[in-house]
Amino acid sequence: MNVGIVCPYDWDVPGGVQAHVRDLAEALIAMGHRVSVLAPADPDDDAAAALPDYLVPAGRTVPVPYNGAVARLNFGVISATRVRRWLREGDFDVVHVHEPTVPGLSLLACFAARGPLVATFHTAIERSRLMAVAASALQPGLEKISGRIAVSEAARSTLIAHLGGDAVLVPNGVNAAHFASAEPLPGWPGEGGALGFLGRIDEPRKGLDVLVDAFERLAPKRPALRLLIAGPGDTDEVSEALAPELRSRVTLLGLVDEGTKARMLKSVDVYVAPNTGGESFGIVLLEALAAGTPVLASDLEAFSQVLDGGAAGRLFPVGDAEALAQAAGELLDSPQERDLLRTAGAAVAKRYDWSSVARQVLAVYEAVR
Amino acid sequence: MGTVATVVLALALIATYLTWTASRMDRLHARTDAARAALDAQLVRRAATALEVAASHGIEPLRAAASAGYHSEQDARAAAETALSEAMRSVSLDEESATALAEAGRRVVLARTFYNDAVRDTVAFRQRRVVRALRLVGHAPEPEPFEIDDTPPLDTPLADTPPIRDAPVSPRVVT
Repeated sequence: MNVGIVCPYDWDVPGGVQAHVRDLAEALIAMGHRVSVLAPADPDDDAAAALPDYLVPAGRTVPVPYNGAVARLNFGVISATRVRRWLREGDFDVVHVHEPTVPGLSLLACFAARGPLVATFHTAIERSRLMAVAASALQPGLEKISGRIAVSEAARSTLIAHLGGDAVLVPNGVNAAHFASAEPLPGWPGEGGALGFLGRIDEPRKGLDVLVDAFERLAPKRPALRLLIAGPGDTDEVSEALAPELRSRVTLLGLVDEGTKARMLKSVDVYVAPNTGGESFGIVLLEALAAGTPVLASDLEAFSQVLDGGAAGRLFPVGDAEALAQAAGELLDSPQERDLLRTAGAAVAKRYDWSSVARQVLAVYEAVR
Repeated sequence: MGTVATVVLALALIATYLTWTASRMDRLHARTDAARAALDAQLVRRAATALEVAASHGIEPLRAAASAGYHSEQDARAAAETALSEAMRSVSLDEESATALAEAGRRVVLARTFYNDAVRDTVAFRQRRVVRALRLVGHAPEPEPFEIDDTPPLDTPLADTPPIRDAPVSPRVVT
């Protein structure tokens, strides 16, 4: 099949949607399909040499505040012309846009497309007046979409609340082999046990505070227990907030690349996801499961769903440091339970592997052709 | 002169708007028709898969349910297809046959979701005042949603999609 995929966010900036589009495109290509991805990217940039063959750069972006963050998007007459040309030259069997409610390339593609159109909705947001107003303005473009996909129940609920109608659920995928084959970092996890955390360290919703609180409860009784933290943010600030005697037992890696992320997940006995809210899917949980690391997560709906209600990972009440500490202690003391979780987790990771997720996306393409 | 120009411009704008609205209506009807054809094709494909599985395993209830879907008239169609879904869920099979049935069932779920979505957009557009007043609907009959229980047999991520109307609406914040 000849597929055109549109990503509204800057290809040069790391992000969930970009990673999703990249992995989907590569999985489809591996299955023998022809794929072209249109995304904002600066073709004159030094990074252009590193752009994959299937990517068609759509020029530089403009920063736009969206959903509490700054998104770099591009739109306007020049972009619209580029989109039309890409559609004409590509002559696609199916055009697959991502996040079409974001003002950018995907929306432009909706307006310009003539053939079968599929859209994936990634975001879960509160009902907003802006979205309600925008929805009616976007309707002429959105009503051309023949097949709507949501990546999670939360994203699907958002779509239903803002736009009405329905969508089919096709989850985010994970590149299971990449995580399964990673090597632990040198010296990890060590004899005394290790807990891991991955995410923005200065964002309260990621819940690092809860984990640090739990670690302080566990540390006195487990003198060799260590904590491995990866993610962007001010590492000095986190370090200074720790009790002085614990500082040597907490390792802060800062922002890590994809390879180090996989190794970091392999390096700990238990991966902890203490998030207090705002997660629509929890892809990092799947990455930990794919790495074969038992997961201990707060019982957010999205996490509970990924972990099969607790069968593929332990859950604890959101924000409850004492419960976290107790569950982590039990897991560290029980290699048997960790093995059970590892086996159940591997089955879940396989279900979400891109090879299986891409087949589900392909079934959607076939349904609208 | 200025007044004439204004009137001409206004008429041109109105004409453009009406043409555009009419083309949107046409496009929605076309989308609904295509989605209906895809749904019918997937229902036939599912019945064919069920017949094949029923024949190779000698499962009479599944065979009967599958052929009932083929032969029923429009009104009885939904009931017959729901019965086939039930028959598909109640048989236990080897993995290959079970996967084939589940796959065919999931494709019906996709096609039906997309068809009902198209119907919803089309009906909403048909009810617009300007569309009704100027009879932009043309001769196309009003499409109706196709309501069946199409829950497929195997519990897989796609099959997890709950029925449309019971969907919990609880948006949450993410970045």
